[in-house]
Amino acid sequence: MPEPILAARGLVVELGGRRGLFRRAPAVRAVDGVDLAVASGETFGIVGESGCGKTTLARALLGLQREAAGEIVLEGRTVSGHHPLAARRMRAAVQYVHQDPGAALDPWWRVGRTLAEGLAIHGVTDRAEQEARIAETLAAVGLDAAMAQRYPHELSGGQQRRIGLARILLLRPKVVILDEPTAGLDLSVQAAVLRLLRELRARFGLTYVFISHDLSVVRRVCDRVAVMYLGRIVEEGSAATLFREPRHPYTRALLAAAPHLDGRDTGPSLPGDPPSLRAVPHGCRFHPRCSMAIPLCAAQDPAPEPAAPGHTVACHRWRDAPTEHRDAA
Amino acid sequence: MSDRPLLAVENLSVHLRTEAGLARILDDVSLAVPPGRTVGVVGESGCGKTTLLRAILGILPRGALIPGGAIRFEGRDILADRAASARGRIGFVPQDPYLSLNPVFRAGDQILEIMRRHAPGTRRDHRAKLVELFRAVQLPDAEAALRKYPHQFSGGQRQRLLIAAALSCDPALVVADEPTTALDVTTQREILALLRRLAAERNLSLLFVTHDFGVLAALCDAVTVLYAGRVAEAGPTRAVLDDPRHPYTRLLLACHPDRAVDLAGIPGTVPAATAQPAGCRFHPRCPIARPACADAPPPPVALPGGRAVACPHHADALPEPALA
Repeated sequence: MPEPILAARGLVVELGGRRGLFRRAPAVRAVDGVDLAVASGETFGIVGESGCGKTTLARALLGLQREAAGEIVLEGRTVSGHHPLAARRMRAAVQYVHQDPGAALDPWWRVGRTLAEGLAIHGVTDRAEQEARIAETLAAVGLDAAMAQRYPHELSGGQQRRIGLARILLLRPKVVILDEPTAGLDLSVQAAVLRLLRELRARFGLTYVFISHDLSVVRRVCDRVAVMYLGRIVEEGSAATLFREPRHPYTRALLAAAPHLDGRDTGPSLPGDPPSLRAVPHGCRFHPRCSMAIPLCAAQDPAPEPAAPGHTVACHRWRDAPTEHRDAA
Repeated sequence: MSDRPLLAVENLSVHLRTEAGLARILDDVSLAVPPGRTVGVVGESGCGKTTLLRAILGILPRGALIPGGAIRFEGRDILADRAASARGRIGFVPQDPYLSLNPVFRAGDQILEIMRRHAPGTRRDHRAKLVELFRAVQLPDAEAALRKYPHQFSGGQRQRLLIAAALSCDPALVVADEPTTALDVTTQREILALLRRLAAERNLSLLFVTHDFGVLAALCDAVTVLYAGRVAEAGPTRAVLDDPRHPYTRLLLACHPDRAVDLAGIPGTVPAATAQPAGCRFHPRCPIARPACADAPPPPVALPGGRAVACPHHADALPEPALA
């Protein structure tokens, strides 16, 4: 594998710890020992249920959330271990597009002013250059330059998303973290947004970290995928392999639960809700919900091990899982 | 589908006066839910799904006009005859389990209040029945659940509570508005399985509004596809998903990541309800539109297998780039 543009080693992020005079509220580990390597130019998917730590991981990569342990390397440079303000400055090449970028537009400001503000904050203060870059970027996301004169309420939902993307692209990022970029979109708009993202990646040489719970979309657009469960990556591999031959019982359950157009019955469902981070099970975190769990699973935390080249899985029993899968045909 | 429908929406139109003019939100919409069957209504935002549900539930916004049509439930027109309205006989499962329960009252009390208004029997009867319902929707520790507040349940459990609420007055029909969109896929799968089981055990009819074709495929016997307030296509779910006939349904399904050859999208946008195009409402975006498509709304064409499509050109191939 080529040198990753963004990597994390043993990353731990703690949330909400408080030390008072009389009592201490223990912190929860939302991200607990994550290793990750995102290659330049790829779309790296992160999937998992709500509360698995996807967004906290993204915030830590971005530098908004300070890591409690571990290391983050961006373009070969260690950027972790700093105060949030400094951390964010060192990671200007990493930008974040949140779920509904339209909601981040100021309703009282013309779109052009919002776009120019981002540029000014990042040191581009020359009016003419601002305007030139805004026009160029609007064209790249498929919008007319005249759109800069509009107010957010005059735009459709799809157009607002494009503006949200333009706002990030103006800053010339190298890595863009997309948090649920298609949540709440209609199918036809979703297709247009995914196509646009693909075009922008090629045109600006971007690398994407693509956080989503829509497995159909992830399968479609991601090169590699990491599956998270309770703050850990339990399986990682190329999208093609992972969806064809999922090894971890959790990945299998997740894939089985996703509804498909052909309405096939997809096997037994996963019982129970994801346990809370405040009561992380001992041993393998998935063992209380796992149909294959043995006593070893409750006693010992499984370390990630290679199941195939470029495919790792953290499970004591992945070798014993039935190999044929519904997508094998 | 030969048996007499439990619910029949007949040529229903719903208009709304707005500042921007008259919004023709539903136009000449017909659909039927036979007893014991699950029917899906699918369409993108702005197609009129929610208005259709509100019309059926009798909760249209003030000022809504109904220029034509009828909604028959158990044979009676519930639009014309308010007294005949289907009190308690139609249950409703809302979209967002997080917003639909009042956080300051016990969940059990909120459902008991519905039963006090709409179901016969004493409070003691209601309590006993609710515990039984909580068991039927597989809430852990049904007796204790009665005394808990909404925040003490997870998202999936709250959706189970709301399903119990929808069933609390012995409905014949349950209407659900995207009840799984706010849930994770593993929870969604459990809720869909629960709805399927309850519908079979209690011989319930289900009208299920969704924008997710995967959910539709998993749950519904038949489907009606809405576009801009009109029915584009209707028929058995498998047949419609495997061989869509309306150009809109064909293009929309081609956008699904499971099926898309290339992520093309559909050119243009859904028209505003105040500015619906004349003739076929899809014609400005349709790759096989002809001049006559702009003249009059196309009547539904009946197809074999209980299907209908509102497009006279449904047999024409779409041009390659449109499906590429």
